[in-house]
Amino acid sequence: MKNNILRYSLVLGLITIISASILAYSYDLTKDRIKEAIRQDFLAGLKSVLPDFDNQPDSDAIITDNATVYLAKNGGAVVGYAVEAVSMKGYGGEISVIVGAKPDATIYRITVVRHTETPGLGDKIKAAAFTSLFSGGSLTGKYAVKRDGGDIDSFSGATISPRAVCEAVNNANKLLYEVICETK
Amino acid sequence: MKLSSFTDCIIKNNAIFKQMLGLCPTLAVTTTLINGLGMGFATTFVLVCSNTVVSSVKRFIPAKVRIPAYIVIIASFVTVVDLFMNAYTHELHKVLGLFIPLIVVNCIVLGRAESFASKNGVLDSLLDGLGNGLGFTLALCVLASVREVLGSGSLLGFSITGGVVPPVILFVLPPGAFIALGFLMAGYNWLRRRTEV
Amino acid sequence: MEYVLLFVSAALVNNLVLNRFWGICPFIGVSKSFDAAYGMSAAVLFVMCVSSVVTWLINGLLLVPYGLGYLQTVVFILVIASLVQFVEMVTEKTSPELYAALGIFLPLITTNCAVFGVSLINIQQGLGFVKMLIFTFGSAIGFGLALVLFAGLRERLLFSDVPKAFKGAPVAFITAGILALAFMGFSGLTK
Repeated sequence: MKNNILRYSLVLGLITIISASILAYSYDLTKDRIKEAIRQDFLAGLKSVLPDFDNQPDSDAIITDNATVYLAKNGGAVVGYAVEAVSMKGYGGEISVIVGAKPDATIYRITVVRHTETPGLGDKIKAAAFTSLFSGGSLTGKYAVKRDGGDIDSFSGATISPRAVCEAVNNANKLLYEVICETK
Repeated sequence: MKLSSFTDCIIKNNAIFKQMLGLCPTLAVTTTLINGLGMGFATTFVLVCSNTVVSSVKRFIPAKVRIPAYIVIIASFVTVVDLFMNAYTHELHKVLGLFIPLIVVNCIVLGRAESFASKNGVLDSLLDGLGNGLGFTLALCVLASVREVLGSGSLLGFSITGGVVPPVILFVLPPGAFIALGFLMAGYNWLRRRTEV
Repeated sequence: MEYVLLFVSAALVNNLVLNRFWGICPFIGVSKSFDAAYGMSAAVLFVMCVSSVVTWLINGLLLVPYGLGYLQTVVFILVIASLVQFVEMVTEKTSPELYAALGIFLPLITTNCAVFGVSLINIQQGLGFVKMLIFTFGSAIGFGLALVLFAGLRERLLFSDVPKAFKGAPVAFITAGILALAFMGFSGLTK
């Protein structure tokens, strides 16, 4: 009986040690690539909301008390600012957007990076037809859907998702405006 | 192993339509064909590896601790797949996300290890894993195609209906997954009865 | 109020079975009778709560501080598997009645993705201890609710006239789909 228990634990222990070492090796092999893939993913998001730049915005960032603002430079001159902001008021939960702005304090473009809205209804917030509504607007303006007296057209069947995007954009605008004023 | 038993795994004893195993990923990730394919191949890889390893070490594993031992082997392969998919197919990994670790509890994988690989030779087990994996992938692709065409009006991301026919959104939502699988299963039963008589 | 919303969201809006598709195998497998559905729900509630607490502690105290996040899958499933075995042994010794009621369902829980999935999502959402407990409890209640409701529907299905090809699983899936459709009515409840 005692012998058996010893044998069981030995076999299980051996299997666990072998598998843990295989995993440690695979982790070591992939960890840099995973980090790079996550970074590229984020950079792609920044790229879609900023004018052409030739620097690495994630290393040229201004870290304030409540956010990290990424700077886009072209030939040394600052051409754009970007920041990520979230709203918890989406239909499916959190909605995360990146807002890009030009130095003259207008929105360049926005993009929705993370959301769990209903496919086919709320997820239209990702479409260019919706995100382009914000382009060119002032950072000091308040954005709201038409139902709430604003001028953002919400699409049929969903008011909550666009409303949450407006909230996230407003949050982002505030952060961007502060940084732009300070750096001027 | 006879070739016929290999093909049996794919169609006649199809993991999803016949044995009804591994239903959670089946229903959850089949909103688009590309997701279905990704999940299918990831599961096939785990199934082939775990079947091969289990059948080659089965002599050393005492019967009493075999289930925890198999689970550790399976979980290791799943983590390897998870890490490599995250590194090399990051976009797909973002979509499949939490469902990759869940391959561990996919009953097909433990089921084949327990009922086949622990009793058969290495080569046979490898083929069994491949057959069941391909059967699983096939079923995922059929369900995913139906749901993507009906629910989004596209296939592999390319629009089919050209926006003329509005898509039936229900089919990309959770209830649509149950309903589509129910009808496909009925179709499978109907076809099988006709070919057997 | 926040806690109530979290509970409602876990139990109804993001129902484990009907919305996330976790634990479908027991959902289809043991929903043929009312009693089995009750037994399974109770066993899941119990194991899910204990395993969530244990995995949450292991993750916070061992895996994260030592940078071993990649061992999560292996460690969690081992914890759940051994926990199930442990619970089985303890109930057998201490309470034969409980064992008689839950016994046959316990081994099935090892491969129940709901238990494993909830452990993972607790970590992924970065929930604190109290919120994690409420979320887990809500999820388990949601699982039980869906299972018992579905068992009731299936008992009726037995006596209805169904086309041959649809008999058994196919019609069960379609019924589950309609039940899921009804549960979609809960979405927006936490807004």
